Amino acid sequence: MEKSFERDFRSLGDIFAFTGVFVEVHGFDESLRYAVNLVVEELFTNMVKYNTGGGHPIEIRMSVRDGRLRIELIDDDVDPWDPAEAPEVILDQPVEERKAGGLGLYLVRSIVDELTYEYKNRQMKVTAIKNLERQNV
Amino acid sequence: MFEARLAGDRLQLIGRLDASQVEAAREAMNRLNASSIIDFGELEYISSAGLGMLLGIQKRLMESGGTLKLINMNRHIREIFRMAGFDRIFVIE
Repeated sequence: MEKSFERDFRSLGDIFAFTGVFVEVHGFDESLRYAVNLVVEELFTNMVKYNTGGGHPIEIRMSVRDGRLRIELIDDDVDPWDPAEAPEVILDQPVEERKAGGLGLYLVRSIVDELTYEYKNRQMKVTAIKNLERQNV
Repeated sequence: MFEARLAGDRLQLIGRLDASQVEAAREAMNRLNASSIIDFGELEYISSAGLGMLLGIQKRLMESGGTLKLINMNRHIREIFRMAGFDRIFVIE
């Protein structure tokens, strides 16, 4: 399944309707449903916040093959951004020192098995792959 | 759909707290000025945007000696709090 969404947080309602159809078609349970929604939201909102220069909709592609869920987000005509620059999340920091930055990407990395970013010809593509046998949300 | 209902020192969250709903949640939580209870019983979903907002509210309340107690979380949201290390920041019952 694939569909493009305006690069705006207000697209999240339509995005969850889209992921809802996908998880229904594949018979995902509540745990996987939560994982799909969280991964898609975090990756989408990061693109909206940090991918500068783009004015185009963001394409979301999802598929299941050989027991692996594949989620791809594609953002065209954007400036390069290095996800490695996201703030480090330190879990045992005192509350006064904890910061929210980097938390979304940290959660995504905790949920999926592979997360890769590619940047070519001003297109950013992020791919998340999750083994469906491993449930963690 | 998201809704926040405030009754005394208890705030009930209902629906889905995603990045598009954080400002509505923040508006409700900014009315909390002392130790308060947030009831997650009817909250289905929260993402990092909601977690970050809760962290900010907790820090503000702690500066004046208050704190947040979070109750009735579903198991998925509880797991997200654990993953984020937020089970060390909040009292969760």
